[in-house]
Amino acid sequence: MQISERRRDGIWLLAPMTLFLLLLLGFPLVLDLIYSVSKVGFETLRSPEVVGFGNYREAISDPEFWAAAWFSLRFAIIVATLQVLLGLGLAIFLAPLLEVRPWLMAILMLPMMVAPALVGLMYRLVLHEFVGVVPYYLYLWNGDSPSFLGASTAFRTLVTIEILQWTPFALLILYTAYAAIPTSIREAAALDGVRGLGSLRYIDLPMMMPAIGVTYFIRFIDSFRVFDNVYTLVGPGAGGSTTTMSIYIYRAFFKVGDIGLAVAASMLLLVASFVVLFAINKLTARRKPT
Amino acid sequence: MTRSPAMMALRWLVFALAAFIMNFPVIATLITSLKSDAEISSYPGLFIQSPTLVNYVAIFEMSDRFDITHYLANSLVMSLIGAGLALLLAFPAAYAMVRLEIGTKWVMPLIVNLRAIPLIIFAIPIYLMYQQVDLLDTRLGMGFIQCLVNLPLVLVLLATSIAELPEEIEEAARVDGASTFQILVRIVAPISVNVIAASAVLSFIYSWNEFLFGLILTTSNAVPISVGASFFFAASGGGVRWGVAAAVMILATLTPLVLGLLMYRQIGRSMTAGAVKG
Repeated sequence: MQISERRRDGIWLLAPMTLFLLLLLGFPLVLDLIYSVSKVGFETLRSPEVVGFGNYREAISDPEFWAAAWFSLRFAIIVATLQVLLGLGLAIFLAPLLEVRPWLMAILMLPMMVAPALVGLMYRLVLHEFVGVVPYYLYLWNGDSPSFLGASTAFRTLVTIEILQWTPFALLILYTAYAAIPTSIREAAALDGVRGLGSLRYIDLPMMMPAIGVTYFIRFIDSFRVFDNVYTLVGPGAGGSTTTMSIYIYRAFFKVGDIGLAVAASMLLLVASFVVLFAINKLTARRKPT
Repeated sequence: MTRSPAMMALRWLVFALAAFIMNFPVIATLITSLKSDAEISSYPGLFIQSPTLVNYVAIFEMSDRFDITHYLANSLVMSLIGAGLALLLAFPAAYAMVRLEIGTKWVMPLIVNLRAIPLIIFAIPIYLMYQQVDLLDTRLGMGFIQCLVNLPLVLVLLATSIAELPEEIEEAARVDGASTFQILVRIVAPISVNVIAASAVLSFIYSWNEFLFGLILTTSNAVPISVGASFFFAASGGGVRWGVAAAVMILATLTPLVLGLLMYRQIGRSMTAGAVKG
């Protein structure tokens, strides 16, 4: 087949998806850009008045914006770190068991099948002061139960919930990476007297490093943009103590009706995402040759 | 690692604990859904004294105000559109990228990185756009969004799988005069049926569980179950009927749970491939 023919066929095959993406991503992005530098309300959607960077200034000088950014960042770092550590520990400890009973993984993967929004709702029930299972047993055994969703405790509760739902992801990826290490390598190391913890330190962990990095990155991103379970568990408000970045933008748009601010905050978030992605790509590109 | 019986017993114990704690919200909700209102308020513990299905019956009695079958049907339709359309768009595109080397420079990295971008960024302009073209609160509009959400993963999975196929069959077909389209439909699609099915299941589950766009883009006609489930918390005026709410949550999550149990191998492989190759 001729090169030009290949090109023509390729373009035809690629065109539908590209068109779809231009419509549903490209166009919204342009709208984002325009509205972020405009004064615009729900009545003036078709005739936004360009006013410069006022919306960005408003976002940057809003302490709640930074509080939300800090909340999401802290949340993502803590959650991703603990998920990877727990997942790694479980993956290595349970590996001999999962090897002989692979279907056990199905049960460990189940939490990921439930909508995060529903998990948030379920915890509303489970943690409820009067009808919840957890407070019931805490009262029974401890004589007291903390308020899980108070201003000072909500963060810890949300971190725990997120970890319990998504540690299975880390477990799955890391177990797969662990199981893929050829036994011949471990046997060779055992002949050289490297076994047990030594094998873990010098063989397993180094060989799993790429998988650990990828898992951490994916969990970090997903936790940073968290919305569903926070929204359904504590609502968009909760005294502002649980405002994630996504909830901040949602609230600016739907509750306050400040389209300009919401869109400017979106663009700042987009730029931040690009910076992180760029850094990650640089890092992985540099590590590849070795 | 040692395989002594004591160590294996310890592993079973850790497994059981981990499985119980991580699945705890579903277990506790299931138990609550099988209790009467009186029992829930007198004994919220983990045992059921007199199991009953009254809560499940009660859901359907309030279908004049909150129609759970309507929400479930909405979720089903938009998840099918989301998964189907994503495959339809991504399959030819993945083939073009892998075999014809078109779009590998820009389109591919753009879509793969799309996964790392918070979706809320696009939610607001899409809302404004949908408002103008009357796609707000429609199943079709929601289906498009689910497709958008699923595209990156589906594309990565299909491209990885196509790249691993032997190219000789396709070349032989081409020598025999087959067009690119024929090769795609008659040769590549049939041998990719496993990865297509696995991508479809995973996309379906992700679509079913999507919440943010459902919350923003629907109000009544196209409300998905992930959003509609919370309506039942306020269903009876003042107090929440916890038994009914629990039963609703169980019905809402039944489909992805069953799919997850039946197809955990395919889902696990897809999740791993999507993570490592992306």
